[in-house]
Amino acid sequence: MEFLQSGVLPTVLLLVRAIVPCMALYVVWRCYTSFKKGQRRRDPVVMLCEESTGVRFPVLYWENSIGRSRSCDICLPDATVSRDHAVLMRREEGWVVCDTGSHSGVQVNGREIEGQHLVNIGDTIAMGDVRLTLRNAETPPARRRRIFTGFSREAASPMKLMVVASLVHLLMALQACIGEEGFRLAQGIPTLIAMVMGWGLYIWSIGIQHRVSFEIETICYLLSGMGVALLAAYNLEGIKTQLAAMGIGILLFCFLIWFMNDMDRVARFRVYIAAGAILLFLINLVFGREQYGSKNWIFIGPVSFQPSEFIKIAFVFVGTSTLDRLQTKKNITEFLVFTGICMGFLFIMRDFGTAVIFFSCFLIIAFMRSGSVRTIALILAGAAIGVLLILRFMPYVADRFAGWGHVWEHINDSLGYQQTRVLTYMASGGLFGIGLGQGNLAGIFAADSDLVFGLVCEEQGLLLALVVLLAIAMLTLYARSDVTRSRSTFFSIGACAVAGMLLFQTCLNVFGATDVLPLTGVTLPFISAGGSSMMCVWGLMAFIKASDERTYGARRSSKGGRRSQEAMPEGRHGPAGRGSGYRAESYSNTGTVPRVRPDFAATGEVYSDTGAVPPARPKPPVRPDFAATGEVYSDTGAVPPARPKPPARPDFAATGEVYSDTGTVPPVRLKPPARPDFAATGEVYSDTGAVSPPPGKGDMEDINSWG
Amino acid sequence: MAFLKTVGLRSIVLYILLAVFLGGVGYLVVNLFLNGRTWAMQPYNGHLGSQMGDILDCDGAVLATSKEGERQYSEDATVRRALLHTIGDTAGYIGTGVQSTMGGKLTGYNFITGLNQTPFSQLGSTVTLTVDQDVCAAAYTAMDGHNGAAILYNYENGDILCKVSAPSFDPSDVPEDLETNDAYKGAYLDNTLSSSFTPGSIFKLVTVAAAMEKWPEDWSSRTYDCWGAQDVGGSDITCLHGESHGTQDAFSAMGNSCNIYFAQLANDVGRDSLQKKAEDMGFNQEFTFDGVAVAKSTIDLSSANANQLGWAGVGQYTVLANPYHMMVLAGAIANGGAYTQPRLADNPNLLSGLVQPGDRKLVTAVEASQLKSLMRSDVENYYGDWLFPEGMAVCAKTGTGEVGEGKGPNCWMMGFCDSSQYPYAFAVVVEEGTGGIETAGAVVSAMLQALV
Repeated sequence: MEFLQSGVLPTVLLLVRAIVPCMALYVVWRCYTSFKKGQRRRDPVVMLCEESTGVRFPVLYWENSIGRSRSCDICLPDATVSRDHAVLMRREEGWVVCDTGSHSGVQVNGREIEGQHLVNIGDTIAMGDVRLTLRNAETPPARRRRIFTGFSREAASPMKLMVVASLVHLLMALQACIGEEGFRLAQGIPTLIAMVMGWGLYIWSIGIQHRVSFEIETICYLLSGMGVALLAAYNLEGIKTQLAAMGIGILLFCFLIWFMNDMDRVARFRVYIAAGAILLFLINLVFGREQYGSKNWIFIGPVSFQPSEFIKIAFVFVGTSTLDRLQTKKNITEFLVFTGICMGFLFIMRDFGTAVIFFSCFLIIAFMRSGSVRTIALILAGAAIGVLLILRFMPYVADRFAGWGHVWEHINDSLGYQQTRVLTYMASGGLFGIGLGQGNLAGIFAADSDLVFGLVCEEQGLLLALVVLLAIAMLTLYARSDVTRSRSTFFSIGACAVAGMLLFQTCLNVFGATDVLPLTGVTLPFISAGGSSMMCVWGLMAFIKASDERTYGARRSSKGGRRSQEAMPEGRHGPAGRGSGYRAESYSNTGTVPRVRPDFAATGEVYSDTGAVPPARPKPPVRPDFAATGEVYSDTGAVPPARPKPPARPDFAATGEVYSDTGTVPPVRLKPPARPDFAATGEVYSDTGAVSPPPGKGDMEDINSWG
Repeated sequence: MAFLKTVGLRSIVLYILLAVFLGGVGYLVVNLFLNGRTWAMQPYNGHLGSQMGDILDCDGAVLATSKEGERQYSEDATVRRALLHTIGDTAGYIGTGVQSTMGGKLTGYNFITGLNQTPFSQLGSTVTLTVDQDVCAAAYTAMDGHNGAAILYNYENGDILCKVSAPSFDPSDVPEDLETNDAYKGAYLDNTLSSSFTPGSIFKLVTVAAAMEKWPEDWSSRTYDCWGAQDVGGSDITCLHGESHGTQDAFSAMGNSCNIYFAQLANDVGRDSLQKKAEDMGFNQEFTFDGVAVAKSTIDLSSANANQLGWAGVGQYTVLANPYHMMVLAGAIANGGAYTQPRLADNPNLLSGLVQPGDRKLVTAVEASQLKSLMRSDVENYYGDWLFPEGMAVCAKTGTGEVGEGKGPNCWMMGFCDSSQYPYAFAVVVEEGTGGIETAGAVVSAMLQALV
């Protein structure tokens, strides 16, 4: 205890506060680089072959538009093909083709189709005079090297990043625990609870759902946990709400990911979601209570919440859509009307900050759907007129922002009181902060919500605040890099809309509090106190997570069962051969029974092995989903030496695919068929056991043996 | 039109948002770097109080120090009250105090560690002021509970030895009714720097200086008759207590403080000449002191009629004077017209030595010596040298600025010691006093006694 009172302590705590942002930055940076490394490359999954000419069209995406128009993913320059003729999509059951209002229709194997129709490898799709056959892509992925690999070639293990994130939280909580009164464990309990929730999600996601990527969740956990540690020091009583909201938010996140797995389900529910959102607004308007100038709160018993936060999620649901629906219904009128209604409600409730956020989200979705700069310009012009009208007829709205740009002339009145305090205490904090719970901004109204950026700066320093901002800003990069890799335009647009909306909200919060923009009173995602906000942000993150095609690989694998029995081959990296995966110990840590890599199994792709192939081996087990997609599986393993030649299986015959066994074929084997989904999910597998090549060299060997 | 390919392309719109965001963050960080010190040094910033360095007076007596995370002030309650506005309060409401204006040095603020206490920030955080706590306490005591201001400096080197403002309070024991009790109204304001008062007769120095400029040869021989009251421009101008002074020249009128003489002199000098002379002597001009903009002395004769001009000539009408300005004006008169920049610490910052406005003049050297002889004559022949310590050769002018509203007058005394041993200039104003010499003279006397 003497140590606590000594003069050394402040210096030690200062050092702790200097280390925390470095660790947080490490997590943020490595999450992004690992995320990028885990992505598949943009190699063709399957091909469409025009039989008469022999022209091959690589199918690059999960959803591909086909038509005469140049902007189509697969452009067929033939007069008999409509501009936007059809959409070829990868769905759970396999490849699906869908007519998008063409003149001449779509025929599969000579039959006219209606709605969505399954296409197998070898099937022929006819559009006008063009006949295309679906084939596996043949060329092995070429190896490309990235110029900048983000300081590290290896992806970090999710476990390691989670551990570092937890350490960040512990170090923050530690500052709050050590006070003048000695060690106060109570201050650390909220952080411990947040850790339990974060690791619960980890175990659920990695351990039970067998998902390979956990980067987005790690970022969310890192930010939420920092928010909890900060707010616990601000008000230990009020932290319960925040923790509960974080818990419910995580559940909402998991639920939405499940919900969005089935596109048809989403499409069915879309109209109910829209109706529900409007109903929620109505309820808010009728039963809402005015708080701090905005009527955006509903009180049910002791629980209060802001419906507008949840409507953000509904808003994205209503705005985004799958490619086939976008192709059939091209205008955005419906969405425009829905936006109009939402904005109308928000203006009546005088929640201008949220209205602006909705508008930004609308702009992103509208642009991504229409691509028309003219439309956007028209919308913006309309909005500008609207703003002018509001300022003309509701001058008190403008009065609220009258202090903007010259807050120092309003140090002691409401126009600049909060902003000047934020700037002063932000400067006082320096790069490393004054110390958790030591801030003076805490005494200012809304310090834990609208001004929370100032609180972070003052207590934890500018550096950590910048790391927080970087983490939120980088969500746009996640969304951007997934945009052509996601399973549907639904996810692409949704993820971009969410990332853009959160970044915009961050702009309003940070710049509003620091007088770069007028103070509008919105929350800082993940950090600000506010249950509704916390839940909503976690809910919104489901869109970004769902946009990652790896998210759903695992889920399907669990359907197939038998996961544990299928000893996946070891000793090599994924066929994509890049990124080279998680380190062995974190990946398959069992040793004797290596775990199946979720996505691999999930997408039911072919895997064939190069390594030390035993002379003969048993027939590889066929997993149900393989049968469905007609893909081939071949096994290696340290499995019994002798095995019979596998009989041709019915489903193979059906899909007309070839199965070749390595057993009989000597060292140089048949070129393995390209596995659509494997490539698609592009996961990396790295192994522990017997063969452990050095990462770099191993990669190359793999590639060579592939060729 | 919405294809995955084009959707991918359109998502670049996010980069625009990202660029705007990064631009905004950059702008904020750059501003923080450039202005962080100003932002942090706000009077309301509670971090300033608990970790500041020591503040000492010119003899090394501790005026303020930090102990156990608390700001502690002098052990003497009178010293605490007398120096409240010079040092500042713990809560930082007194923005003109050293704890605010020199907060950067006291707290060791820098961009990297902010206001954190680090081994580095504690180096050199002690500030030694030029004030003498005994002189300040004497002045405060002599003000005897009246509101006002007393300020005194060395007109040769600029050192401020006394700077007292009232109403004051004890910073170690802040009264609970500070905000509500009328007795403390304006307690956060440093009257020496931030207030201007109706000057009354001390303004006659300006009027007579305007006459010196207009009639350099015969200004002192002009005479006016005084019968206690005189119609100027349609209404009466009266002398204090209706006293008639008879025929007055400049010296006797200054000594008797004859309103009628100076009212007529002002009219003869003319509105524009008086306005211009006042401005030359620092009225409507800005003075800065340790980064604080001092409240201006103001004069605006543009719409004054003859009667109002007459009243303005004796320091009434709308004329206002700031004590700090009156002190530097007195110092300039003592210094042959040259302005000496006052200071509270030896070297508040390195730049101050470079921008010393050495050639700034408030009056000409000739006028300065003529004004000096007028002021010396006042003390010698009218107030009495016995009021002040021996050998100080005090030159001064008193004033009683009438404020109306049933309140007592602002009692002024400004002046200096014409002595190389005691090169001090001073200005004192006491609100609701009895008279210039009785009230303000006593405070000046107390200050000078304490300086011996």
